Amino acid sequence: MNAELLARAKSLGFSDRQIAHLTGTTEDALRAERKALGLIPSYRLVDTCAAEFEAYTPYYYSTYDRGDDEVTKTDTKKVMILGGGPNRIGQGIEFDYCCVHAAFALKADGFETIMVNSNPETVSTDYDTSDKLFFEPLTLEDVLHIYEREGCWGAIAQFGGQTPLNLALGLKKNGVNIIGTSPESIEIAEDRKLFSAMLDRLNIPQPKNGMATNEEEALTAAHNLSYPVLVRPSFVLGGRAMQIVYTDAELSHYMKFAVEASPERPVLVDKFLEDATEVDVDCIADVGNFPNPADGTVVIGAMLEHIEFAGVHSGDAAMVLPPHTLSQEVIATIRKYTHAMARELLVSGLMNVQYAVKGTTVYVLEVNPRASRTVPFVSKAIGFPLAKLAAQVMAGKSLKELGFTAEVWPKYWAVKESVFPFNRFPGQDIILSPEMRSTGEVMGLDADLGVAYAKAQMAANSPLPLKGRVFISVGDLHKGDVAAVAKSFADLGFELVSTNGTATVLEKAGLKVQRVFKLNEGARPNAVDLLKNKELQLVINTPSGASPRADEVKIRTTAVMTGTPIMTTLSGAKAAALGIAALQKHGYAVKTIQEYH
Amino acid sequence: MPKRTDIHSVLIIGAGPIIIGQACEFDYSGTQACKALREEGYRVILVNSNPATIMTDPEFAERTYIEPITPECVEKIIVREKAEMARMGATGKLVLLPTLGGQTALNTAMTLHRQGVLEKHGIEMIGAKAEAITKGEDRETFKQLMLTIGLDVPISGTAHTIQEARQVAERIGRYPLIIRPGFTLGGTGGGIAYNREEFEEIAKRGIDLSPVSEILVEESLLGWKEYEMEVMRDRADNCVIICSIENFDPMGVHTGDSITVAPIQTLTDKEYQIMRDASFAVIRAVGVETGGSNIQFSVNPENGRMIVIEMNPRVSRSSALASKATGFPIAKIAAKLAVGYLLDEIRNDITRETPASFEPTIDYVVTKIPRFAFEKFPQADPTLTTQMKSVGEAMAIGRTFKESFQKCLRSLEIGRSGLGGDGKPWRIGAEMIDDRAIFPRELINRRLSVPNAERVFFLRHAFRAGYSLEDVFQLTKIDRWFLIQIEELVKFEEELAALKN
Repeated sequence: MNAELLARAKSLGFSDRQIAHLTGTTEDALRAERKALGLIPSYRLVDTCAAEFEAYTPYYYSTYDRGDDEVTKTDTKKVMILGGGPNRIGQGIEFDYCCVHAAFALKADGFETIMVNSNPETVSTDYDTSDKLFFEPLTLEDVLHIYEREGCWGAIAQFGGQTPLNLALGLKKNGVNIIGTSPESIEIAEDRKLFSAMLDRLNIPQPKNGMATNEEEALTAAHNLSYPVLVRPSFVLGGRAMQIVYTDAELSHYMKFAVEASPERPVLVDKFLEDATEVDVDCIADVGNFPNPADGTVVIGAMLEHIEFAGVHSGDAAMVLPPHTLSQEVIATIRKYTHAMARELLVSGLMNVQYAVKGTTVYVLEVNPRASRTVPFVSKAIGFPLAKLAAQVMAGKSLKELGFTAEVWPKYWAVKESVFPFNRFPGQDIILSPEMRSTGEVMGLDADLGVAYAKAQMAANSPLPLKGRVFISVGDLHKGDVAAVAKSFADLGFELVSTNGTATVLEKAGLKVQRVFKLNEGARPNAVDLLKNKELQLVINTPSGASPRADEVKIRTTAVMTGTPIMTTLSGAKAAALGIAALQKHGYAVKTIQEYH
Repeated sequence: MPKRTDIHSVLIIGAGPIIIGQACEFDYSGTQACKALREEGYRVILVNSNPATIMTDPEFAERTYIEPITPECVEKIIVREKAEMARMGATGKLVLLPTLGGQTALNTAMTLHRQGVLEKHGIEMIGAKAEAITKGEDRETFKQLMLTIGLDVPISGTAHTIQEARQVAERIGRYPLIIRPGFTLGGTGGGIAYNREEFEEIAKRGIDLSPVSEILVEESLLGWKEYEMEVMRDRADNCVIICSIENFDPMGVHTGDSITVAPIQTLTDKEYQIMRDASFAVIRAVGVETGGSNIQFSVNPENGRMIVIEMNPRVSRSSALASKATGFPIAKIAAKLAVGYLLDEIRNDITRETPASFEPTIDYVVTKIPRFAFEKFPQADPTLTTQMKSVGEAMAIGRTFKESFQKCLRSLEIGRSGLGGDGKPWRIGAEMIDDRAIFPRELINRRLSVPNAERVFFLRHAFRAGYSLEDVFQLTKIDRWFLIQIEELVKFEEELAALKN
C-alpha cells in the first residue's frame, strides 16, 4: 500500500481495522506493513500550557501528526493496567475501582504503573493515580503500541471488566505478558464444553443444559430439560439478551427476534432452577504462582446471599453479607467447590462464582476468574482491600507473604441494593430479570439486619415508610405465600389495599383489606389514582406471568414516576417488613467504617 | 490570603449511587477534594452510600460514613461529629463542603440549610453560600439576574401548577416549548413539547418530579449552537476559564447526551472573548465566591444572538471532562479555594512553575461521545431530548478534530472501529445492513432529523448516499464546519476503498 496514503489515513484517525477492511487485507498484515514503514504513533503530553513550560505529570495521548515524542524514558519494571472504557450498564465504577487499586498497590511495590483508559469520568484517568497515564482507546492496535513503546513487563487484563478481557487473547498472541490467571483458564470458564468437563471432573453439579444453533435445536433442548429454561447468547455481557422462558411460543419468539444464533455463536439453554437461592462468592487465590498448585492458598473474600430468588441478574439483585439463611452445611459445600475450582483453574488473582442453592444441593451457575462487580462492596464490608491484594498476587507475591490467609466473617450486616434508571424511561416495565439494568449500587451497614436493609433502601432513594397504606397485588404463582407477607405488614400497623384476586386470598386468611378497582375494570378510583394522589406508601406487585399484563405494568411505572417505594418480589417485601419493624422499634444510628473495622 | 485556620474538620457529601446524570465523575472530584484537604491538614469527614467509590476507601478520610445521603442522616452525622470534636478538644469549626457531590450533595445541603439545621449546629457552608446556590439553581431568580447584568436569556416563565404552565405557554405563544423541572438531576422529567397534548403531559410530569413542584417553560432554541464554559473564581475575585466546550449536537439534546468538543471550534476569537467576559460576569453576579462553575450558552447561528442557558454553581460532569481535557485538576483546586487559598497561591502540579491562575492552553482537540444503553430498555423511546439518557461516555484526544473523533468512536465499546468501513454490519431494527451498503433516503432522513444515539453514523450514511452538505445541515442543524470534517472522512474512506480493486 502507498505509504503516503497510509500515513494520511492514520492522521485522519482511521484504525487499522477500518483500513484493512476497506483495502481488502487483514488487520495483522496491515499492522506489520505499517510497522515496516516505521509508521507508528508518537505520544504527546497533556500539560495545560501547550508545551510553553516543562510538564512533570506524565499524561499522554497518541497522534500520527509527525513530531517529537514527549514520553520520558524510564527503566523501572513496568506493569500496564487496562481500564474498562466508557461506563455502561453491566460495566461501571466497580471495575474502575479495581484498576485504581491495582495502580496504588503496584506503585507501592516499586513497579512503574501504566494506566490505559478512555473514560474521562474516572479516578483511574486522574494524572496522579498511576505513574503514567495514556488516555487512549482500549483496542488491540492502540494498546499494543503503548505496551511496545514502553517495553512493559506485564499487563493486567482481569480488573477492567469485559473490555480488557476481550483483548487478552489477542494481546497474548502478540507477545504481551498477561499477568495473573492465564487467558487459557479464562477461556475454560467461558467455554461451555470445557467448563462442563471441568465440573464433571471435580464432581460439582450444574443445572442441566444444552446448546442450540437454531430454533428447532432450541425447542428440542428445552423439551429435554423441561420448562422453565434460561436462554442466553454464548458471548454474554451484563446479562444481555438473557431470558427465562416458560413455553414453546416464547422460545420460538426469542430465537427469531432476540438473538442471532449460529454454529459459531450458539445459544445456551439451561434448566432454570425456580425458587433457588443465589449466592455470589468472591475469592482470591495465588495458586497460579506456584509450580505445584497444592502449595498455593485460596481465601474466600465473602459469600453474598441474594435477597431475590434465582432469575434476577446478580448485578440487579439485593444481597446480604454474610449469608442470612444458609445452613453451615451449604456454606461448607460452597467453600469446598470454590477452593476446588480456584485450584483447577490455577487462579492467580480474583475469581467470582455464582451458585444456586436448592435444598441442600449447591449448583454452579457461572465462574469468572477475574475481578467482579462486587469486589469493592466486599472489600468495604470485610475491611480488606481485595483488589490491591490481588494485584500484588498477580505481580508475584503469595497470600502468605501478604498475610491474608483466613476468611473474614463480619459481626455486622452489609446489604447491597441496586438503583435503576427507570424514571428516565417512562413506559419501561421495571420487573427484574436476568438482563441487568441497574446503573449503580448502595450499601447499608448495621449490627441489625433489618436496619441494614432499611438503610440500603434509604440510600437507594426509596426509603421504607413507617406507617400508612400498602398496596398488594400478586400473580397467581405467589398467591400461596402472600398472606404471610401481608400479615406482617398488618401487624406493623399498615392498612392493606388490594385488587380483587389478592384481596380474596387475604380475606380468607382473616386479614382486613380495602378493595380497589383494577385498571381494566374501568371503575374508579383504581390503584393508579391512589398512587398519583400519594395515598399509597408502599407497593408490593409481582408479575402475573412471563408476559405481564398492560395494567400491572402501568401500576409499576406509576409507582416509579410518583416515587413510591415498590417491591416486585415477595422476598423483597419480606425484607422490607423486617426493615420497617427494626426502624419502628429502635430507629437507626450512624457509624464510620473506621469504627467497624 | 493563606488558608483558613479557624477550620478543624470538613464534612464532604458525596453523590451516592451511580445514576444517569450523576456517575463516577463525582467519585473523581470527591477523591481529589479529600486528598487536597488532608494535604492541608484538615480532618476530613465523608458521607457517601456508594461502596464502589475510591473516596469511601478508609484511607481517604479520617471518618468515612457509608450511610444514606439524606438530610436526616447527615444531621445525625453532624451531631455525632460535633460531639467527637468536643471530645478531642478541637477548637476549630466543623464546615460543610457541598459542591463536589453533584446535585445530590447540593440538594441535601440546601434542605439542611432551609430546615435551619446548619444554623442550629453552627455549620458554615464553604465552596458556595446558600444564597449563591439559590441564585444559580432557581431558574427564575437566575434569569432576572442575567437580565440585570445585561445578558440575554430565553423567553420563559416558571409554573407550579398546570394552570400556571398553560399561561406561560400562551405568553411565549409558539411551539415547540422546552420544559425543565427545577432542582432535578440531568433534567429528569423534562422534555420538548411540539403540541398542546405533549405539553400537558410533560408539564404535569415535570411538576410531579421536581422536589419543589416547579417547572420552567421556555422558548425553544432548537437548532441553535450550544457551548459550555468551565470557570473558576477565588475570594479575591480572580476568574479563569479552564476549558471551553462546544456541543456538536445543536440545542435540544441534553449536553450529557451530546457529542462535545474542546476547545470551541466554530467561534471567532471575538465571539469567544465575548462569551468569556459573559462567563465572568455570570459567576460574579451569582456570587460563587470560590470554586468552579459550569455555564451554558446558546448562539443563534443565523444572527449570533447569544443567550445564557444555565449555570451549575458546583463541580459538574463537564468539570470532570474539562479536567481530563486540559490536565487542570478542577476539583482539587476548588477544594483549596474553598478553604481560603487564592488561585495565584496554588501551584500547578503539571508545570510546577505556573500558578493555578494561568488559564490552560491546549494544542490538541478533545472529543467526548456519550454511550447509550437503549437495548436494555426496549419499551422506552430512544429519541434524545433535554432529559439525559446516556449511561457513560468516552473521550479521545488527537491533533485534529478528525483524529480525536475517530479515536473516540472506536473507544465506545459498541463494536465499531471508527466512523465506518470496518466491515461490521449495521443493525436497524430487526434488520442487518451491510457496512458499505447505501441506506434508503427515507431512513436517513428520519434518523438525521430526530436526534438519536446513531445519528452520528447516519451522517456518514447520508454523505455516502449522495446528500449534499446543505441537505445534511438542514436536517440536523449541526454546524457546517463539523459536517465538512465528516464529509472529508467519508471521501477519504472512498479513496481507501478504491484501492481494493
